[in-house]
Amino acid sequence: MNSILSRFSSTNALPANFDNEGGRQDFQDSINGAPAQFDLPGTEPARFLSQYTDVDSSNPAARIKLQHGTTTLAFRYKGGIIVCVDSRATAGSYIASGTVKKVIEINPYLLGTMAGGAADCQYWECRLHELRNKERISVAAASKYLSNIVYSYKGMGLSMGTMICGWDKTGPALFYVDSDGTRLKGDVFSVGSGSTFAYGVLDQGYHWDLTDAEAQELGRRSIYAATHRDAYSGNTINLYHVKEEGWEFIANYDAMNLHYDGPGDNVPGAPGGGYGWDVRTQGLSSKLEATEGQQTSGQGGRFADEQPLTASVQPPQA
Amino acid sequence: MSDITTLNGGSCIAFKGKNCVAIACDLRLGNQALTVACNRDKVFKITDKTYLGMTGLASDVDTLRSAFRYRLNMYRMKEEREIEPETFAHLVSSTLYEKRFGPYFIEPIIAGLNSNNEPFIAAADLIGCLNFAKDFVVTGTASDKLFGMAEGLWEPDLGPEELFESISQALLGALERDALSGWGAIVRVITPDKVIERTLQSRQD
Amino acid sequence: MTSVAPQKSKSGFDFSNYSRNHFLDGKGLGGFTATSTGTTIVGLIYKDGIVLGADTRATEGPIVADKNCEKIHYISDNIRCCGAGTAADTEFVTALISSNMQLHALHTGRKPRVVTAMTMLKQRLFQYQGHIGAALVLGGYDATGPQLFTVAPHGSTDKLPYVTMGSGSLAAMAVFESGWHKDMEQKEAVDLVVAAISSGIFNDLGSGSNVDVCIIKKDSTEMLRNYVMPNERAKKEQKYGFAKGTTRFTKEHIYSMIQKEDVFEVGSTAPTPAPLPAAAAGAGGEETMDTS
Repeated sequence: MNSILSRFSSTNALPANFDNEGGRQDFQDSINGAPAQFDLPGTEPARFLSQYTDVDSSNPAARIKLQHGTTTLAFRYKGGIIVCVDSRATAGSYIASGTVKKVIEINPYLLGTMAGGAADCQYWECRLHELRNKERISVAAASKYLSNIVYSYKGMGLSMGTMICGWDKTGPALFYVDSDGTRLKGDVFSVGSGSTFAYGVLDQGYHWDLTDAEAQELGRRSIYAATHRDAYSGNTINLYHVKEEGWEFIANYDAMNLHYDGPGDNVPGAPGGGYGWDVRTQGLSSKLEATEGQQTSGQGGRFADEQPLTASVQPPQA
Repeated sequence: MSDITTLNGGSCIAFKGKNCVAIACDLRLGNQALTVACNRDKVFKITDKTYLGMTGLASDVDTLRSAFRYRLNMYRMKEEREIEPETFAHLVSSTLYEKRFGPYFIEPIIAGLNSNNEPFIAAADLIGCLNFAKDFVVTGTASDKLFGMAEGLWEPDLGPEELFESISQALLGALERDALSGWGAIVRVITPDKVIERTLQSRQD
Repeated sequence: MTSVAPQKSKSGFDFSNYSRNHFLDGKGLGGFTATSTGTTIVGLIYKDGIVLGADTRATEGPIVADKNCEKIHYISDNIRCCGAGTAADTEFVTALISSNMQLHALHTGRKPRVVTAMTMLKQRLFQYQGHIGAALVLGGYDATGPQLFTVAPHGSTDKLPYVTMGSGSLAAMAVFESGWHKDMEQKEAVDLVVAAISSGIFNDLGSGSNVDVCIIKKDSTEMLRNYVMPNERAKKEQKYGFAKGTTRFTKEHIYSMIQKEDVFEVGSTAPTPAPLPAAAAGAGGEETMDTS
């Protein structure tokens, strides 16, 4: 590889008239230039991209509606880090996929989550994948590296929000990185259109001394809440646990099963039974039962009964 | 996406069968991405054997429901009989066209049996252009997906129970791929002597 | 509570939602895809009268909303009108003019003339400055012979021996330009109309499905609905029958419409003014009151 590069690094290798042509010079630079780059279209990539993409639902003419509907969460606690994500990909209101892997397994000790433009994320996570040195990279360094890369593309239309989770010399570490250039160290993060719903459950149940089973249940339950309330999150839920000996994939749950039946029999930490509001409260609240002749259907069924017009429809004969 | 017709979400479908019709809807009421309620029935009883489904802007659905209730009661009192589904379809159509230059953002479908117990279904666009289909009609945010499901699953001369299975599977299939509809579904099968109303078990995400 | 009672005006359009929708439009919230008939409609004059033709596709954006709609509208027994454009507008404007034509015929006591319908249509469309999106082909046979017009959405009209309109008008006109001649025979004329509409169906994406034809002569009007059906879906070889019980449901409610009634026989045919037997008193009580 180096020998090939060195051949091109010498300008003498090229005919003299090549150097004088601006176009050829550019071509040559792209080969010599140290960091690999996207092929950038035109002169203003940001404007070019914004013609076609719709990152914040503000461009109705956009052809490419980037996937921004997602719920991802990660939190640090006594026993490591819990990472839990949904698996829905949407294009507008169309559910393009229900089996997206939104957790990227960077190496056996590092996980990244995906939210935002799906294509962008996967590209950068793959770049991260190449980061391994002789010594395992620290979570702080890996997240900083990613943050620097995306920052260099600021304003060009990149869109992502990710959590880098891992266990390094300092113990469990969790960083939030997004395409604006934000990089935050923290204990509890949730990212995506359903994050507010996930935070609601997560904040309620979170404390540092959670057992492993409790923590996993909290992650599962939080993402479930988001799939229920957020239209753009759903389908299946992936649960990971980062421990000292590396990350472990716990399970994949269908959100429909979680609603009606819960995570399964004898799952530690789970109370048993479905998570669904209607499922949990069945038979627990009082209800005014319909009496004879009353209709019990949804509001639709009531329409014709709202006006007792039988007397007018069949007026008594005089 | 920030468009009035898809603000609240929701979908409806009607199938014509043999001496019966079926009409079904989802139960979601949303505010863009947020699911506000999971019990919003979008099908309304007009007479014992005629039902009206409305999708689109929820506030316009409510307004029109009152407007139709008024017009229906006036019809009952003047005519001293129940309205025929076809007549009702024209009532819906002219009510919507009256607002041609300031429309209600709803798309209705009508399903019922007429006084000879012949099945009838119809759909209209938001300014009242009627579509009398011989097979099925669909409306709502999942309408394109419902079109596909119905083209595949609808068959002529289905009996009440077969019709129930077909329309249910068509609806559930479409809901799998629409983010703005779902969260439960109700199917009504109208036959000459009874209306079967079933609440389906469906995805809640 | 908002009043839902009809406004003072008993006819015409109601603009009460207009300002609301205009406001929403300003916020970029307006959503509006009315069914349009991205149509091919044609008409021609032949030896004995008029032949009108239309395809049967109605679209909502890229979706085919109706595969077999009727675009040849009734105006009077001897006049028909093909409509292209916003489907609701063609439907309602022709229905209104049909109604006014009948009133006019009753008032004058004469058979309605095509120019009358044409004038009514153009006046109404001009009044609305193109906002009523109807592009029409009007044809009929009256006291002045066979008459054929086109009416554009803004109210301008044309009087020509052969005309086409809609998104498939170019495809159809290409056929007419090469095939039409004066004093065609009926079969020849119908075949040319079918060829023109077919050209629209196959070459224009907004047109499709079947060919409707209408032949209007001095004393007869013949509506040939689905005269040619070149796009029939292949019959399914097998069925997707779902076994009973496939769909899981959580609740069921059955509304029975069979009303049970106990019927008691009430004496003989003529009602008796005398007190009734005890058993029938309840049922027959009101009946005796009727006769008094």
